[in-house]
Amino acid sequence: MSETKTAAMFSGEKSNGLVLVVDDEPDVRKVVRMTLEKAGYDVIEAEDGEKAIEAIKKDENPLLLDVAIMDIRMPKVNGVEAIAWFQQQFPRVPIIVLTGFPDVEMATSFLKHGVVDYLVKPVEAEKLKAAVAKAMEQREIHRL
Amino acid sequence: MNNHAAIRLVILGGGKGGTALLELFSHLSGVTVVGLADINPAAPAVSYAEQLHIPFFSDPIEAIRQPGIDLIINVTNDPALDHLIQEYKHPETEVLSGAASKLLWQLVQQEAQTQVQLLQAEKLASMGTFAAGIAHDINNPLYVIQGFAENILEETNLDVIHEQAKSILDAAKRIQAICLNITQYARASVAIDATPVELHTKIEEALKIARYATTLQDLTIVRNYNGPLEIMAKPQEILQVFVNLLTNAIQAMNGRGTLTITTWKEKQWAKVAIRDTGCGIPPEHLDKIFEPFFTTKPPGIGTGLGLHNVRWIVKKYFGHITVDSQVGKGTTFTLEFPLIGTH
Repeated sequence: MSETKTAAMFSGEKSNGLVLVVDDEPDVRKVVRMTLEKAGYDVIEAEDGEKAIEAIKKDENPLLLDVAIMDIRMPKVNGVEAIAWFQQQFPRVPIIVLTGFPDVEMATSFLKHGVVDYLVKPVEAEKLKAAVAKAMEQREIHRL
Repeated sequence: MNNHAAIRLVILGGGKGGTALLELFSHLSGVTVVGLADINPAAPAVSYAEQLHIPFFSDPIEAIRQPGIDLIINVTNDPALDHLIQEYKHPETEVLSGAASKLLWQLVQQEAQTQVQLLQAEKLASMGTFAAGIAHDINNPLYVIQGFAENILEETNLDVIHEQAKSILDAAKRIQAICLNITQYARASVAIDATPVELHTKIEEALKIARYATTLQDLTIVRNYNGPLEIMAKPQEILQVFVNLLTNAIQAMNGRGTLTITTWKEKQWAKVAIRDTGCGIPPEHLDKIFEPFFTTKPPGIGTGLGLHNVRWIVKKYFGHITVDSQVGKGTTFTLEFPLIGTH
């Protein structure tokens, strides 16, 4: 995870929080990173559920993680499984689903299972930032 | 004539009528075409008959005199031929010509049209299965386009603008390729006649479409290709065969498992085996799966026509399809088509 630390972490600026982005598409991760870094967040990336779990496991302090943004359709460990693992291991880390599936049933099912937001790509930068800000608030409540 | 024995017949006339009859009879188990005759060796049905291993006679009399024939069908529209038939045929051989063969010709045309419409209807109905997968694959690059475009509006660094514009173009090209695959599959067959079709090309095209059939996806695809394998067929119909079989395989595995596609040449046959590690087909369903309207999928998911159409197309090109399945372990469909120029 250390190699993915971002400019904000090194420059000593105060970060608005640490967000994990899990998506198998590099350009999608790049857009999310760009959008969130502009809003003052630090971003780490993983290309599938398996890598995300690995990344969190090997980090010295996984509790630093504030929000996870998760794709659904990924090779190896898919989003559904990764989300289940995250919710079990880090129940206080809010999860946002960011997927290409415009599926109401799937969205309802995820929201019922405690996912804080279900965003369908393409999502505007403002909407993504708003969703992350809302998730951060929830994270803060859990910290209290 | 024995009721259980196949009707043995010869067709006189290698034009449209003869071609359509050959095609129809290839689906009927109770009919054996003993020969096709036309004085013109370049008539359309001649190469078709050759491909199907049906003997061709350039001399109609020779065809008429073939032993053990139940029926002669004259679709030449040539009254002179009727005299030759009466003169040379075996006494017990029946003849279909004149108005009766015109009526048959019209029924055959109607049947062919109905089948083509059925193939297209099933294909379009199955598109619903792919809708979510297609939307997903378009929405991803669309997000990349939107995200970078939003950034470029505020970006001042020309290098970054340049790099992101390139990513936008790549994403647009991906969407273009998806739309091309889908429209190519969805449109009705444009080819009027069979043309040489390379099977691996169609398998690869079909894989791209069949992958849309599942939401979650962790497929290992093993390709044991031995080729090239060229057959005579309408490319669209062969694509439909593979899309149907691969979609079934992927759905049977619920998007997770190993799909093994093996191809090989065996004597004059092009062979393809499609093996999945899915749920398998219960033995009591095995002999029903090719029947029309048999489905175990929920309403709105399956039409019950997929495998029926697969077998119809395979038989049309004088191929065969077999299935081998074990519940809980998986299913293998094996296809064979006659190779071009091996008879």
